[in-house]
Amino acid sequence: MTDRREAVVVGPAVLFVLLFAVAPAALLFGGALASAGGLSGLVAAFSTRTVGGALNRAAVENSLVQGGLSAGLAVALGYPAGIFLGRYRWPMRSTVRSLLLVPFLMPSLIVVFGVVDLFGASGVLSTLLPSLGFFGSGLPAIVAANLVFNIPLVVLFTATGVESASAELEETVATLGGSPWRAYRDAWARPSWVGAAVGGLLTFLFSALSFAPPILLCGSRCYTVEAQIYSLDAIRGLSTEAGVLAFAMVVLFLVPTVLYLLLLGRLRSVPGRRTPTRSVSLRDPVSLALAVETGAVLVGVLGVLAAVLYRTVAPVGGVAPGVAWSELFSSSTAARTGVPVSGLVANSLLFATGATVLALLVGIVLGYTMVGRPARRRALGVLLFLPLLISPVVLAFALSSFWLPLLGGATNVWVLVIVCQAILALPFALQSIEIPLAGLSPRAHEAAESLGASSWNAFLDADLPRVRDGLATAGLFAFALGLGEFTATNFLVTPQYTTLTVALYDLDFRRSFAVVDAAAGLLLLLSLAVFLVLLAGGRRVEL
Amino acid sequence: MSSSRARLSVEALSAEWDGLPVLRSVSLSVAPGEFLVLLGPNGSGKTTLLRCLAGLERPTAGRVRLDGVDVTDRPVHTRGIGLMFQESALFPHRTVYENIAYAPLLQRRPRAEVDLEVGRVVDLLRLAGFEDRRPDQLSGGERQRVALARTLAARPRVVLLDEPFASIDVEVKAELHAEFRRALSASGAATIHVTHDRAEGLFLGDRVGLLFGGTLEAVGAPADVYEHPGSVRAARFLGYNVLPGDGGPVAVHPTDLAWSPGPRGRVLATVVAEGPTGRHRLVVLRTDSGERVELVSAVDGPSFPVGQRGGLTWERSSPLRE
Repeated sequence: MTDRREAVVVGPAVLFVLLFAVAPAALLFGGALASAGGLSGLVAAFSTRTVGGALNRAAVENSLVQGGLSAGLAVALGYPAGIFLGRYRWPMRSTVRSLLLVPFLMPSLIVVFGVVDLFGASGVLSTLLPSLGFFGSGLPAIVAANLVFNIPLVVLFTATGVESASAELEETVATLGGSPWRAYRDAWARPSWVGAAVGGLLTFLFSALSFAPPILLCGSRCYTVEAQIYSLDAIRGLSTEAGVLAFAMVVLFLVPTVLYLLLLGRLRSVPGRRTPTRSVSLRDPVSLALAVETGAVLVGVLGVLAAVLYRTVAPVGGVAPGVAWSELFSSSTAARTGVPVSGLVANSLLFATGATVLALLVGIVLGYTMVGRPARRRALGVLLFLPLLISPVVLAFALSSFWLPLLGGATNVWVLVIVCQAILALPFALQSIEIPLAGLSPRAHEAAESLGASSWNAFLDADLPRVRDGLATAGLFAFALGLGEFTATNFLVTPQYTTLTVALYDLDFRRSFAVVDAAAGLLLLLSLAVFLVLLAGGRRVEL
Repeated sequence: MSSSRARLSVEALSAEWDGLPVLRSVSLSVAPGEFLVLLGPNGSGKTTLLRCLAGLERPTAGRVRLDGVDVTDRPVHTRGIGLMFQESALFPHRTVYENIAYAPLLQRRPRAEVDLEVGRVVDLLRLAGFEDRRPDQLSGGERQRVALARTLAARPRVVLLDEPFASIDVEVKAELHAEFRRALSASGAATIHVTHDRAEGLFLGDRVGLLFGGTLEAVGAPADVYEHPGSVRAARFLGYNVLPGDGGPVAVHPTDLAWSPGPRGRVLATVVAEGPTGRHRLVVLRTDSGERVELVSAVDGPSFPVGQRGGLTWERSSPLRE
């Protein structure tokens, strides 16, 4: 493709990210800078409002504590399981690998409800063993919810690191006289810890910026920066102060985000023969210990989701399940949420579909132009991963400040919901596209062109068939993330565009617990359906 | 060679991969300081044999003895057998010195002794001046020299080389062959080198063995093995034509064939293709029974028009078994 034609294709995609992610965020921060009276004013605002203000300072501290605790525990619990997944051969290994993605694709609210269902006041486990109620509220509950989301990420990234270790190097250490411990230390510990660090950093970022867990499981004393920005802007109307805090947050999380991206690049670029898996043996106590630990992690993670499903047939307060479900679809619930359940589901599906189409279009175009061009790959990579740095609330805040007036106000907010969900899904969708794209040889494309095919036909005939699975995975990934997206959607939507996740949050706040159980079940079942489609046809799903 | 003075002896070793036999009752022995080359095509079981000897794979049957001691069940890191791969497998984050010093330090030798050992193998493989470089600052040939130096610094009793020159440029290869041969000879270790490159194998080996489908054939001095391939598949692998002789198939070297146009000769054939290869002319023929035959003649000799029919004759041949 010539540079000019390429610019015509790539331009709109780049423009999309610039206009809907970079520019609004830049204007938001610029506005904060201007209203604070320049850089010195911003520094002063930092000290008087962000760091000096007790609530804001507490939010920063909460973010760091919740992020640090969650990341440390996720690595401690996920690293052994990642080794077991990456190095050992056992029945259902491939299925478990896919299952580990389920929590990540689940709406955050589901996990929060799962924690409450297990450990809350009338939780399944805390009723049996009251001391487990410790994990039902406050910081322990928040960390527990973060772990359910993020341990699987640490497990998967550690496994990827372990699998990327050079088999020859490990075998060489052994033939030079190194014990298995030395082989670990000198040959494969490093890539495995790169994987664990990637997972740990992502856990830190997700947990430090978590929204639903601190709000629903603890309250304002546990607010993260993300929740505090929402509180300042959407509830208290202090948008300038929210802008200053958003800017502080971006600065605060710049280093871990950049570190995450750098380590992720290293994890993906390890050459050489992969270490073959080995079988679990009763004579190998290490393999047995790892198997037990992995089993415990799986039971813990999937148990939380199972608790949500359990509550759909055994709602809290002894309400019959049929009553809870019929109440969910009743007019009284519709009156409380503003839209009947069918409308909530339709809104959720509509936004998720729109976001998927957008994310795929942008992802394909930008991903395709990166193939085999390291310099462009770096620049576009940064552009596409920017949403990781700009949190959901900040993105929603920036989009609503910048675009909502231009779009003619709240009646067209649905456009922003779709755009916002697309941008948030983009980094993860792109990862699914990037893997098959990275393996794409330009030879087949060039051969098709040399036989007379146009660039477009060469793409259709030579390239597309080889990345089709990756595209399907990316699309379904984006769809699942859009379906469960709560933080930004909650910030943006007006009542007529309420989604199932936002309604679930409202119902919980109104303490309609039996209906919440049924609604959470419905959302979980919808998300599980997407996941099953994701797995259909033996497709391998990876982060 | 008698097994009583063998450094390494292998008795009826068999191995399977996913239930399929990869090695079939392989027996061999190597003396201290000896260089044994095992030649064979891809998939013949060469690498599996080395991995079984090193302890990286478990054989399904047979024994491996090192200086008379059975090490078949001994873990890989306690065997004292060094293995070098096609890819150098150097520690990417360590310098040349640190790579070479790795095994002596593992053996807890005193620091001064480690320095001496590293200096010895650095000199042996002409690596002086490279000690502070990292693997990504070395050429492919230099990396392989460092990998051998690292292997030798462990003072192994046996060194196994798994196609270490396969990804090395042709110009560098000959020099490396000589350096490896000299260094390994000086170390006194018994060496088993596997390769599919017959010229490399015949050049390097004190003895050469041919491995086909997991079965070891025709172990002997390189010249003997080359002149008397013994089996049809060995003859084909070594570049011979297989033609019908009086008592069965025979191996005939392409330079030993003579061609005369017309219906005269021991085997009738048709010219399929021909062309110069430097100072020689390579002629490809198809016999009437469908066998592909190669003939090498002088580039300024008679021409071989494609489609011409004629007869093949030869003076020298070696009898083969099927």
